[in-house]
Amino acid sequence: MNLYFQLDLYLYNDNLYLYLESGVVPSPLEQFEIIPFLPMKIGDLYFSFTNPSLFMLLTLSLVLLLVHFVTKKGGGKSVPNAWQSLVELIYDFVPNLVNEQIGGLSGNVKQQFFPCIFVTFTFLLFCNLQGMIPYSFTVTSHFLITLGLSFSIFIGITIVGFQRNGLHFLSFLLPAGVPLPLAPFLVLLELISYCFRALSLGIRLFANMMAGHSLVKILSGFAWTMLCMNDLLYFIGDLGPLFIVLALTGPELGVAISQAHVSTISICIYLNDATNLHQ
Amino acid sequence: MLEGAKSIGAGAATIASAGAAVGIGNVFSSLIHSVARNPSLAKQLFGYAILGFALTEAIALFALMMAFLILFVF
Repeated sequence: MNLYFQLDLYLYNDNLYLYLESGVVPSPLEQFEIIPFLPMKIGDLYFSFTNPSLFMLLTLSLVLLLVHFVTKKGGGKSVPNAWQSLVELIYDFVPNLVNEQIGGLSGNVKQQFFPCIFVTFTFLLFCNLQGMIPYSFTVTSHFLITLGLSFSIFIGITIVGFQRNGLHFLSFLLPAGVPLPLAPFLVLLELISYCFRALSLGIRLFANMMAGHSLVKILSGFAWTMLCMNDLLYFIGDLGPLFIVLALTGPELGVAISQAHVSTISICIYLNDATNLHQ
Repeated sequence: MLEGAKSIGAGAATIASAGAAVGIGNVFSSLIHSVARNPSLAKQLFGYAILGFALTEAIALFALMMAFLILFVF
């Protein structure tokens, strides 16, 4: 009873002090809660301004500010400072990726796809990294958002495929040199695997982010429970879980960067498949 | 009863980590083999290995996600 009361107070008042007093660790999934800041309803549509929207806007404005300050006064300096070399690092990283993955096309065409892929990469990277700040919200840990992104990219890639190859794009579903009796099964299998790409692209990012953040939360919950035992032995032993949480933050940052990288590579591979058809 | 079943389910979901462990081990053992054969490619191969590692790890996280869903959502 008391436990629930404390939890309720924490949830409704959002009062950190009470939460700290109670020593009760809430569910690790609580950090993913969506709270509407400006409730809005247009008909049956739910258009509220929620914390994901806030953090997405925050990410966008951070990235835009960074790029703006770096390229102020007609582009940066020839000897870059730390911020400028960070932006240059990101900007150099993506064209390499695009050139490596989308082969067989002229430089012009690669340039055509580069801005879209660059924006996707930067958005994912900064969303993931921003989520690592304590008490912030990880936008990419909601499959509503990652699946929305991956489905729109998937539809876009399919449109690009049809635009470049016309109806020849359908030959994508049947690898060359397949015996005819096998063809119906293979077409079905390839179609399923093609459609599953949209799902796997979104789920991979979401699962990585959600699992990582929950893991850190659970482990820090262990440390917190130990700290609240009011015992000197436990107080000293508390350094163990605390250090594990601290150490886990490092790989978590690595996952945040590598998942943005992996998603971008997957998008490039899918785009290459759609434009070059299994070549 | 339900609590117990939840715990059993979540525990069973973590068996999938075994497969991911084999996969990740395979990725890095292949990396070591390849680098031993041709050390000059080490940098390029490491990039591929990290990519393979991230893809394999994602599968392990699907299982972890299932365990979380069983424990906390239902």
